[in-house]
Amino acid sequence: MQQLIFGLANGSIYALMALSIGMVSSTTGIVNFAYASVVMMGAMVSWWLMVIYQFSYIPALFVAIAVSIVLNIVIYETCVKKLGNLLDNVGWIITLFGASIILDNIARMLFGTEPQAFPYLFGGKMVTFFGANIMLHELMMITIAVVIGVAYQTIIKKTRFGRAVRAVAFRPATSELMGIKSEKIILSCFAMAGAVAAIGGVLIAPITFASYTMTYSIGLKGFAAAVLGGFGNTKGAFIGGFLLGLIEAFISIFVPAGIKDSISFVIMIIVIIFLPGGIMSAKIFNRNWSAAEKV
Amino acid sequence: MPRFSTETGPLRKKYSLWFTILKLALLFICLAFPFIAGNYYSRFAIILFIYIILSIGYDISSGYCGMLTLSGAAIFGAGAYASAITITTLKMPFLVGMLAAMVVTGLISFLISLPAYKVKGNYLALISLGILEIVQRILNDWTSLTQGAAGFFLPQWSIFGMSLTNYTKYYVVFFFLILIMLFEWGLIKSHWGRDFVAVKNDEIAASGVGINNRKFKVIALLISSMIIGVAGSLYASYSEFISPDTFGFYLTIFILLTVVIGGTGTLSGPAIGVVVVMIIPEFFNASPDLKQIVFGGLLIILTQVMPGGIVGRIKERFRAIEDNRHIENLGDRLPISFEKYRVHADGPENILVVKNLTKRFGGLTAVGNLDLAVKRGTVHSLIGPNGAGKTTTVNLITGIDKPSEGSVIFNGEDITGMEPFDSVKRGIARTYQHVRLFKDLRVIDNVAMGGRIYYTYSMADAIFHSRRKRKEEKEAYLEAYDCLKLIGLDSKSNFDPGSLSTGQQKLVEIARALCEKPKLMVLDEPCAGLNETEVAELSEIIKKIRDVGITVLMIEHHMSIVMGISDYITVIDYGKKIAEGTTAEVSADPVVRKAYLGEEVTAC
Repeated sequence: MQQLIFGLANGSIYALMALSIGMVSSTTGIVNFAYASVVMMGAMVSWWLMVIYQFSYIPALFVAIAVSIVLNIVIYETCVKKLGNLLDNVGWIITLFGASIILDNIARMLFGTEPQAFPYLFGGKMVTFFGANIMLHELMMITIAVVIGVAYQTIIKKTRFGRAVRAVAFRPATSELMGIKSEKIILSCFAMAGAVAAIGGVLIAPITFASYTMTYSIGLKGFAAAVLGGFGNTKGAFIGGFLLGLIEAFISIFVPAGIKDSISFVIMIIVIIFLPGGIMSAKIFNRNWSAAEKV
Repeated sequence: MPRFSTETGPLRKKYSLWFTILKLALLFICLAFPFIAGNYYSRFAIILFIYIILSIGYDISSGYCGMLTLSGAAIFGAGAYASAITITTLKMPFLVGMLAAMVVTGLISFLISLPAYKVKGNYLALISLGILEIVQRILNDWTSLTQGAAGFFLPQWSIFGMSLTNYTKYYVVFFFLILIMLFEWGLIKSHWGRDFVAVKNDEIAASGVGINNRKFKVIALLISSMIIGVAGSLYASYSEFISPDTFGFYLTIFILLTVVIGGTGTLSGPAIGVVVVMIIPEFFNASPDLKQIVFGGLLIILTQVMPGGIVGRIKERFRAIEDNRHIENLGDRLPISFEKYRVHADGPENILVVKNLTKRFGGLTAVGNLDLAVKRGTVHSLIGPNGAGKTTTVNLITGIDKPSEGSVIFNGEDITGMEPFDSVKRGIARTYQHVRLFKDLRVIDNVAMGGRIYYTYSMADAIFHSRRKRKEEKEAYLEAYDCLKLIGLDSKSNFDPGSLSTGQQKLVEIARALCEKPKLMVLDEPCAGLNETEVAELSEIIKKIRDVGITVLMIEHHMSIVMGISDYITVIDYGKKIAEGTTAEVSADPVVRKAYLGEEVTAC
């Protein structure tokens, strides 16, 4: 039970990260390699506000979200927009890594190198649940992740904006002809991805501690989750995230901690080789070929 | 790119003396450096040389072959540790350690390149990032082997039992640098180097000239990793202490930056890049954060502002002036004619027989039960409305798509589902609906790529510039030049293909196909985007090609050229054949007139 909750809690973070990656890649086809730094920035900014300026949790979170949104928009404007056709030109891989190290080192200069303790939600209160000690924070992580995931799917499926996002994801040029401002949609996806990243950062910070390196390995696991679910497939990203968290939690019973961290990369590589579309593209989910929806 | 064709540009010729002087001066400075410079700068130079080797290795796969990986540091680290463990734990000499490093890095390269079979772009970047992380974990956590995060100490560097002084270390590293540079030079200036660029530029066209993309990707990564392995083993032995931190993400960024600054896919780019990246921070004595921020900024800005890097920029300058010059020094060449490419009948009357060919994409049947027979030495046109399945049919014949059902028999041999790089060896050449030239190669290189299936020299020949390589390269380029002359573009041989008009690009594609010495030439809409004069020129060329016995299978919408030069016409619609026969028969066929030509229009 303990492992299950633990796995789900970690999984919820992976899911949020994969969602953040998925939002961007569904509309642009790129992988935002700088997103882990945005997650970190979100966490660091809210830590800074809470500990240094005595903000309470919620305002700090909102400022962090705002900062992350701005960061993601800046990243889009400086690193991606001018490159033209993103499928032919892989320059974005280089520019996004450039953005990532710039953010990491700015954080290092601003906030120092020491990992900082980050407050838990509900002051780290524990509850006993089927004989397992579970932190309320962990339950909250899962809840928030699920709420965000469901809300995003609703937006995508039900609203006018959501239809526009799906249209851009499918055919950006055609959408433009149909009167959708592709660039605006892409920009708002970057912005939403920033917001989700900040929430993920704030939720994971109590566990990893807040520091400029906090997302080095977690960030990679976000990619693993996104790969597992299928790039650009936001529903799959969510499932991939939780699945990865669970796999990790249960495997960690059997293997030493050092190897545990490599497992997600091994899974990622295996999935890329054998199932490049992610688990959602596997045959069992897709009897009908036209059902392979992208968003 | 052999000597005679590249050095005829007036600018190069004018400055070739200066280039030689510059090279000699650099060599001299490098040789004399330890005597002039102090200990600190010697050490700096050694590290610089090692990083140049590393960067050269990385550039072969990422710059030339276009596989942007992020595992450079991991491979470097694996090489360093492999050699360190071999030397220290197994008590082997240095050269064995280096060999071990190359073996280990070569094996790791397979981990990256085997998935590269299927994936590229972001997936490749992710896989390599995963490998970077996994290698980090292994170095940190497999303490019994690597001594973990604390680091690994090596004994003093010795070769053949002699321990090295600071001077000799410098020269040993310099020797390896020169060795690697010569290796790279030989490799890149051979068909291998051009093949890598072709794979990067256009995999389909590369496969069309006989390149097995997968094989070349694996080879490029293997060579690249082994060179990085050499750098790693030099680094380990030189610094006598290695720790996992060195081989992390920042080193990968550093390698990437050197290549981006110097110029990806250039010979001197990595060296220039390393010098710039190593020396810039020395000037403003920056704190590590500021240095990394500057590096990050450079990555963002340079990629967008100067995609070719420093060397790319310089080359652009030179190229702009050189463009108008063509190859001199041709020697005694007989006047060229199409006769050279004459094909003699060596098989059945129907050179290409397609039976019951079917291709389904999901629920859509693009081509259904198509039968087709193409007679030897004729121009056979395939016409039909847009979306009728013409290009799919051609793709099935040349092997780009695999048919769901049916068979393709070429010259009496069943080639159903054969890869394009094999079918080209049987004598099928093709051009593409949307021009597919290798944009980073000059026009003449593009045409010479057509003749690459006739190269016989090995990689060793390439590296040592053997007589055989020089002879074959010279012949291939003269042949390519002849082909260009046949289509009347010999004055453009030094141009970038992108600077040519669409019509000229289509002609270059035909020249490339001709260079393959084909029995069957498949032309996919050769006239699309051409003006009337160009169409007339092209139809003359196609006629000449037919007249020397090369069978032409052509997809075309231009009715004037179809009716003018075709011997046979097959009309398809909705993936099905609706009419077939000689030009006169088809143009008189009421079904065709109704479905395709339009009732009133008379064939022109």
